[in-house]
Amino acid sequence: MEAFLNWNFFVELLLSTVRMATPILFVALAETYSERAGLVNIGLDGIMSFGALIGFLIGFRTGNPITGIAAGALSGIAINMIYAFCTIKLCAPQIVYGMALNIFAPALASFIYRLSFSDTSTLIQGVSMKAVPIPVLSKIPIVGPVFFNHIPLVYFAYLLVPVTAVFLNRTKAGLNFKAVGEFPKAAETLGINVTLQKYIASIICGALAGIGGAYLTICYTSTYSEGIVAGRGFIALSAVIFGRWMPTGVLLACLLFGFCDALQIRLQLLSPSTPYQMLQMIPYLCTLFVLAFFGIKKSGPKANGQPYYREER
Amino acid sequence: MKQNDNLTKVIIPIISILVAFVIGGIIILCLGKNPIKAYGYLFSGAFGSSRKVAQTLVIANPLIFTGLTAAISYKCGVFNLGGEGQFIIGAIASIFFVTKSGMEGIPAILLSLLIGAASGAIWGAIPGILKITRGLNEMIVSIMLNYVAALFMGYVYTTLLRDGSVPQTYAIPDSTKIAVISKNFPIHWGIGIALFLAFAGYYFLFHTSKGFKLRAVGLNATASFFNGFPVNRYILFSFIISGAVAGLGGSVELHGKQLRLMDGFGQGYGFDGVAIALIAQLNPIGTAIVAFIFAVLRKGASTLQTGMQVPTAVVDIIQALVIIFAVAGTALLKLPSMKQIFSKQSVKKEGTNKWKLF
Repeated sequence: MEAFLNWNFFVELLLSTVRMATPILFVALAETYSERAGLVNIGLDGIMSFGALIGFLIGFRTGNPITGIAAGALSGIAINMIYAFCTIKLCAPQIVYGMALNIFAPALASFIYRLSFSDTSTLIQGVSMKAVPIPVLSKIPIVGPVFFNHIPLVYFAYLLVPVTAVFLNRTKAGLNFKAVGEFPKAAETLGINVTLQKYIASIICGALAGIGGAYLTICYTSTYSEGIVAGRGFIALSAVIFGRWMPTGVLLACLLFGFCDALQIRLQLLSPSTPYQMLQMIPYLCTLFVLAFFGIKKSGPKANGQPYYREER
Repeated sequence: MKQNDNLTKVIIPIISILVAFVIGGIIILCLGKNPIKAYGYLFSGAFGSSRKVAQTLVIANPLIFTGLTAAISYKCGVFNLGGEGQFIIGAIASIFFVTKSGMEGIPAILLSLLIGAASGAIWGAIPGILKITRGLNEMIVSIMLNYVAALFMGYVYTTLLRDGSVPQTYAIPDSTKIAVISKNFPIHWGIGIALFLAFAGYYFLFHTSKGFKLRAVGLNATASFFNGFPVNRYILFSFIISGAVAGLGGSVELHGKQLRLMDGFGQGYGFDGVAIALIAQLNPIGTAIVAFIFAVLRKGASTLQTGMQVPTAVVDIIQALVIIFAVAGTALLKLPSMKQIFSKQSVKKEGTNKWKLF
């Protein structure tokens, strides 16, 4: 028990909280954009696993983590375009298409992985990103190492939160964007191109979810294995609900889930006698409990999840 | 109009499967192999002898259960994505029962299957209860419970019921194995249970008043509510039934095929079931057929890999493409502009509420 009171334990715990929350934050923000335009995308897990593979592969081939991340984003967009086309143009049920992505994208990813590395069972070590401490700020005790000594992608994720908040609440474009998710018909009469806005939302969603996936293989493990995403897409989905579709709320929710993940890993190291499966359950159980206590029936964009038939009156 | 609907429900899955096969063939061609020869290997692997057909059925068996799980809940308008967790929990409950109780023979099997179904039902009821009482999204809850169940199974086979140094549980006693139909056709009787459930599910959904009400709740919960249907009770009911089917599936898989729990038991069956149910347009009998087609692909995939060095993942892609085309095809026909082409009747707004979730 003494280790719990150890100062280092706390710093380490907070540090990995920030680190573990990052992929969830990327994906949760992706979903925030998507749902604000009325598209419920439950295919995040699928997009992430595809982004994770392509990011890893391109990073490995080029040796440059930034190219890998960019490739992850592009592949996320590409795979999400299937969802976008079918749900926006064909008005297909969004949940079903989200599921289709969850089944299709991991299959495609493992196919490409096996083609590229021809069924080798050895783990292939990919590229990884170096931490860039922010001058001055990283020297502050406790706060410095926890918040200001990370890889650039982590700063990017946290920077996206205020950017998204300002965009959605303070800019005309953002308000137009939100109108599409609230009442598309009214938005259309005001001259907003609903279809275009929805496609934009899907592009942003795909890119961010792809980056979230690539983060896992480039910044977190630097290897690829099947099932690496481990339901983070769904945890992000609950973070959006828990965070009330607001960027700051989503950030807090992601930090909470990141904390559970970090705690789980720390506890595994700390008490090897506890069955590790029980500790690994913590993030999932925590998601359930948090939702059960804070989940409220009616909130979020009004037209969320509904198809928009433009020709219909 | 009704005739037309039924026809498209059969045609869309067939066309989707054919198109997915063609694209799969193109992928195989891109790998530098002959697609026709490849499909020859695939089908001979699945149908080459009665023994192979039986093995294909063994693969199809759990998929029928999880497919029915998905179909029953979606018919009621709720998305039980927790088939995998319920499947695993059913198997865990059964293995505890048969290894600890000391009962043997047929009574043990029957009781064990019942216990498996009951545990699956309880596990499946959790998302239902949380949805009704707290308004939680049932998809997220059921997915989270999948991970919890899989991790708990890990705890069972590495610690609680571990058999020696290998991370797996004890095998079930020999007398509690489900018998095979015949030596030359080695498929266990579990397939009988699966097929019975498929027909029973079809009868229940389409030929009983409870089934009708359940579908009505799925199509329009608000209208059903104002018609005096106990909507929440039907939602919970569909979760419990679908959970019980999955739990029973896990138990059957344990007693008929796997005989013990180990890493990877039931992995992916939940999502496969979802895909199968969607391709089958949520029809229970169709679910059994599509599950069999999936099993053919899987059984054939290993022959394909050994015979022609085509990675088995090609088959995963074909499966995933089938679902994408099947759903796109259905959606396409629902578009107002397409409806006008296909029927002279006036286009009415329908189903916009159906997929609303949050």
